[in-house]
Amino acid sequence: MKLALTGNPNSGKTTLFNAITGKIEKVGNWAGVTIDKKEADIKKSLNTTEGRIIAIDLPGAYSMSPFTSEESITRDFIKNENPDVIINIVDATNISRSLFFTTQLLELGIPMVVALNKSDLNKKKKTIINLEALSKELGCPVVETTSTEVTNNGLELLISKVLETKGTSQIPPFSSKNVDLKDKKSVEASDKERFVLVNKIVKSVENRRVSSNKQTKQDAADRILAHKWLGIPIFIMIMWMVFSISQTYVGPLVADVFVSLIDGFYVFVEGLLGNDVSPVLSSLLLDGIIGGVGAVVGFLPLIMVLFFLLALLEDCGYMARVAVVMDRFFKRVGLSGKSIIPMVIGTGCAIPGIMSTRTIKNERQRRTTAMLTPFMPCGAKLPVIALFAGVFFNDAAWVGTTMYFLAILIIIIGALIVVTITGERNARSYFIMELPEYKFPSLKRAAMSMFSRAKAFIIKASTIILLCNAVIQIMQSFDWKFQVVAEGAQNSSILASIASPFAIILIPLGFGAWQLAAAAITGFIAKENVVGTLAVVYSITNFIDTEELTLVAGGSDVASIMGLTSAAALAYLVFNLFTPPCFAAIGAMNAEMENKVWLWSGIGFQLGMGYVAAFLTYQIGTLLTTKAVGTGFIPGFIAVVIMIGFVIFLMKKGDRKAKKKLAYSS
Amino acid sequence: MTNIIVIIVIIAILAGASAKIFSEKKKGAKCVGCPYSQVSNSSGCSCDSPKS
Repeated sequence: MKLALTGNPNSGKTTLFNAITGKIEKVGNWAGVTIDKKEADIKKSLNTTEGRIIAIDLPGAYSMSPFTSEESITRDFIKNENPDVIINIVDATNISRSLFFTTQLLELGIPMVVALNKSDLNKKKKTIINLEALSKELGCPVVETTSTEVTNNGLELLISKVLETKGTSQIPPFSSKNVDLKDKKSVEASDKERFVLVNKIVKSVENRRVSSNKQTKQDAADRILAHKWLGIPIFIMIMWMVFSISQTYVGPLVADVFVSLIDGFYVFVEGLLGNDVSPVLSSLLLDGIIGGVGAVVGFLPLIMVLFFLLALLEDCGYMARVAVVMDRFFKRVGLSGKSIIPMVIGTGCAIPGIMSTRTIKNERQRRTTAMLTPFMPCGAKLPVIALFAGVFFNDAAWVGTTMYFLAILIIIIGALIVVTITGERNARSYFIMELPEYKFPSLKRAAMSMFSRAKAFIIKASTIILLCNAVIQIMQSFDWKFQVVAEGAQNSSILASIASPFAIILIPLGFGAWQLAAAAITGFIAKENVVGTLAVVYSITNFIDTEELTLVAGGSDVASIMGLTSAAALAYLVFNLFTPPCFAAIGAMNAEMENKVWLWSGIGFQLGMGYVAAFLTYQIGTLLTTKAVGTGFIPGFIAVVIMIGFVIFLMKKGDRKAKKKLAYSS
Repeated sequence: MTNIIVIIVIIAILAGASAKIFSEKKKGAKCVGCPYSQVSNSSGCSCDSPKS
């Protein structure tokens, strides 16, 4: 038996899907989280039949006439795949908006049950919905549900109604059979009639204590949090607090226990090996595998705390307000307001962020967003940020916060460049986003999000990062004749000879050492590799001081081993964060852009942007701290001028194109 | 003898890591370790699903 879950965006479909199947699909307190259909068997405890009941979670839709690609998925599935029953999830707090789609679904002739979700919020607001009357008006069963609750959530009743409804016929309250779909006026007239019917139904079944046109506390909060000017400093302050808690206070405290375990294991294995084992094998196992992986995994508690806090922010509805605040800037540079959603998702991992750009209808906006989303610091980049903030900036929370806002600035500049080059500077976009209600965030959901990220991090560390560190250690231990490199003569190793040519290009950025170049290169496989490789090439077992609860053991010692000034360290961080993402994310860019010219231009742009940003950071930083420019200024300056000159040339060309277009259209 | 044991241990670790990567790739996951790579969808995580 096939059970389709449909409803408006942010009505709680995926939460209900997770509740009836026991899965842990990504949920979010805003519209557009689900972009593809997902299916799973419902829980045995809910299935009273002998056969399988497969639930299919569909992306949110406002109507059966799709506007976005994910709405098409919903429409096509319901029309072509013949589900046995539809569960229409209706947001109980806003039935007037939801019933338009409900009445359209009822016309399809597929048995349907309405799940009046988020009923708990209605109880709080003292809004009463007459279920019997609503069921009579719609001609289908209506069940109150609260999918976030573990007990008394109405799910058992919902599934029993589904089983009763299967194979029955229902009479729709509205029919548009005689409407000529090719005639716009006729469709509009039919839609108006449908709205009249919906309003009539709502009036007869809903009893609200708080009128929707009355100003509520939520509106008052929105006036501050989503304010066009106040919204930005509030966002900065919140992000700073998130970084302070995760990287200065709670994170290192949790890391203490964790790093002690890693340290203990290292010492235990070291003791087991004794002095009989070959130094090459010993360092491969201890420094390459245990040390390299341990250095990355040591940051896990900090990342877990950060993801927990970000999940709370998302769940309480704040991130949707950030989207509104940022929209003002984004639409001025030709991006869609919807571009913000992939970027926020990209703070977790760039790949799902890039994939979610498919909700953007305009091709240029979709490709631009896919190109710019990887600039947002993802979870994999957090250990790199934490390491450099700890070693060079005394665990300062401003480093992480600055990186996020620098990413936003780079995205805005990047979007402006792309929109000018493509000659679409005059194009305007409009963004309407339904703001979810503020709610107390679910600690359980935040914990689940945190643990799933932690699991992913450990799997990645014990697979890709482990293999990379082992390869790096081997390449560092041998020369091209496969002779073991003598202690202190690593400059003749395979790794040094490969990384050295790249290191030359990086001299104007302040970090021309082959070790740093090697770490930056391995970062393209997975960004966490930067930390792992640095640990291997500099033989640093772990970066976290368990005694002083600070991020880095003897930060100044590590800094002196790396031989970087603060300006160069910040430039290295900027370079690693704003050059192209890992290969998997580049693959995702390729899939979403569907155009090789866009893909390669995007990678070139990311490389250029990372290089220019790192050059400016190092040279300006050095100028401010030493009153002189840094090493390699002249060749770096020439390279940067050529890059900027080329971009300006393309922008001028695009501007001419735009003017021509405007002249033709007028 | 100790060296041989260490070599075997290292090979076992590396083989285990490689096997995990191959099995994840075989399941269709683009990103090894992705938290949404093994739930409900036959084609892997939502980010691995073919574009509709």
